Amino acid sequence: MTTPANGIDRTGLESRPVEHEVVRITKLNKTFHKRGLKALDDVDMTLRHSTFTSVIGPSGCGKSTLLKIMAGLIPATSGEILLNGKAVTGPRQDIGIMFQQPTLLPWRTSIENVLLPIEIRSGAAAAQAKKDDALRLLELVGLEGFDHVHPHELSGGMAQRVAICRMLVTGPAILLLDEPFGALDELTREYMNVELQRICRERDATSFMVTHAIPEAVFLADQVFVMSARPGRIATIVDVDLPRPRNLDMMTTPEFGALVRRVRHSLDMGIDGGGLA
Amino acid sequence: MTQTTQGPRGPAEMSDAEELWYSGKWIDRVPQWVSITVLGLAMLGLWWLIAELMPTNLKILLAGPADTFEELWDTTKNIVSGGHIAEGLWITTQEVLLGFLAAAILGFVLGVVVGETRLGKRAVMPYLVALNALPKVAFAPVFVAWFGFGVNSKIVMALFIAFFPVIVDTAAGLYSVDADTVMLFQSMESSRWQTLRKLKLPSALPFIFAGLKTAAVFSVVGAVVGEYLGGGHGLGELIRLSAQTLRIDRVFALIVYLGILGLLLFGLVAWAEKKLLFWHKSEIFEIQGTG
Ligand SMILES: Nc1ncnc2c1ncn2[C@@H]1O[C@H](COP(=O)(O)OP(=O)(O)O)[C@@H](O)[C@H]1O
Ligand SMILES: [Mg+2]
Repeated sequence: MTTPANGIDRTGLESRPVEHEVVRITKLNKTFHKRGLKALDDVDMTLRHSTFTSVIGPSGCGKSTLLKIMAGLIPATSGEILLNGKAVTGPRQDIGIMFQQPTLLPWRTSIENVLLPIEIRSGAAAAQAKKDDALRLLELVGLEGFDHVHPHELSGGMAQRVAICRMLVTGPAILLLDEPFGALDELTREYMNVELQRICRERDATSFMVTHAIPEAVFLADQVFVMSARPGRIATIVDVDLPRPRNLDMMTTPEFGALVRRVRHSLDMGIDGGGLA
Repeated sequence: MTQTTQGPRGPAEMSDAEELWYSGKWIDRVPQWVSITVLGLAMLGLWWLIAELMPTNLKILLAGPADTFEELWDTTKNIVSGGHIAEGLWITTQEVLLGFLAAAILGFVLGVVVGETRLGKRAVMPYLVALNALPKVAFAPVFVAWFGFGVNSKIVMALFIAFFPVIVDTAAGLYSVDADTVMLFQSMESSRWQTLRKLKLPSALPFIFAGLKTAAVFSVVGAVVGEYLGGGHGLGELIRLSAQTLRIDRVFALIVYLGILGLLLFGLVAWAEKKLLFWHKSEIFEIQGTG
């Protein structure tokens, strides 16, 4: 498990050392044979420790498929995924995942939902032993005092924060997020983006997030993968070197605007079937 | 026939109530108990009127409210003093309860088989659907031949009529589980048994209870039909005898007790549902809750 980088201040333009590789994907292909559909075509990528990667692309270009393969939920047709040097061949404890819907169990309290992955993997006693960790996580996402509340009493944003805790509780090496805030309203979404940035920094997390929103992709990311469709492939990588921590005001700066335009442009190229940017 | 459509309700549907409020229909401003009482009195009056207007030679075919209430009073006295009607009520209650219990257990087990296994869905379900399409009452004489004139044949009849909705609703509940949540369980390396126990069955509970409520009503039907066709000493047999001697007032009084029996069982199931499903809003509670 990674430890929070307490006391290490990464503010400003301090250049970060090149971190070690957490995920390496080589020549990943996925064909859905039933429909004769090539969903992913020769995808290569590297995710370094404690970086945030956004993935954006037109609907149906294979983003969710890529994420599910990385999570070990569906098999690749060919290619290799290494997570911390070990091939991903199925679900693993060091992979954390989160969806557009919070997918909380409505009959369980927040803390019981957070502890679910421990309970499933190691039993109720192990979950009970992790209770303090879970409480600290709820505190980390700003839900102190909500541990015994049921999901129907939580707002959409609060429910997604519980889902974040549930994803973090096993101390995963990689966080896979599939449009995690796609169902939230705009204001909540922006707030959650700021929160997610803070949480990722505090946990030194390596994150991989699928999104539909360009500003969100740029705001959170160290690199934005722009995908093109049919077959799905990573068309462009846009590096985002804006200083951290980022705040919402930065979204009005010319630098931010330029990055958004670059991503937009790459997306348009992909959709028009034009060449690579 | 079954209430399979009574699934989970989203919060968006709450706005219906608000719309009614703004539309300001007079009926919405009257407390519900008042409208229920008024309509009940009106129907009672209509009943009385029709009974009064019957030609004298046909009066015996329709007992009026007064005769019925008098007979209901006598019936109640008989029951309280432990007379033969009390015995009949006890017999029918046993048939209904045991029939319901058997239907609940068998329906649940078959529902899980159908909803959770491919074999169940592809091979067992078609037979169950075909069986359900048959007029089940037609089997009553067979059950009498097999299980005799005692309570057993009625229990089987109640079970036979009541178990199908439980199967269908249990299976529908298992199918209704959210796909992303299933994927989440896969990502946690959950075993099939764990996913069933910790995710699918709890998710299916609102559907299962819908099936159980239907079964509660149907098991009364099954027991009474069994008694009509297979004798014995239950309320159904008493009703049949009363009708033969044209004691319609007594028939009505006994039907009231059958109704109470059905309502109590239904209420018991609804109560258990409310206790267990605090996280889920079932429509019936909204009706009760807006008094
Ligand atoms: N299980 C499946 N079987 C067949 N086709 C699938 C399956 N899952 C996804 N697809 C197809 O693969 C393509 C990529 O889907 P997906 O990864 O969900 O796209 P998105 O980028 O919108 O997340 C789509 O055309 C989709 O219809
Ligand atoms: Mg998707």
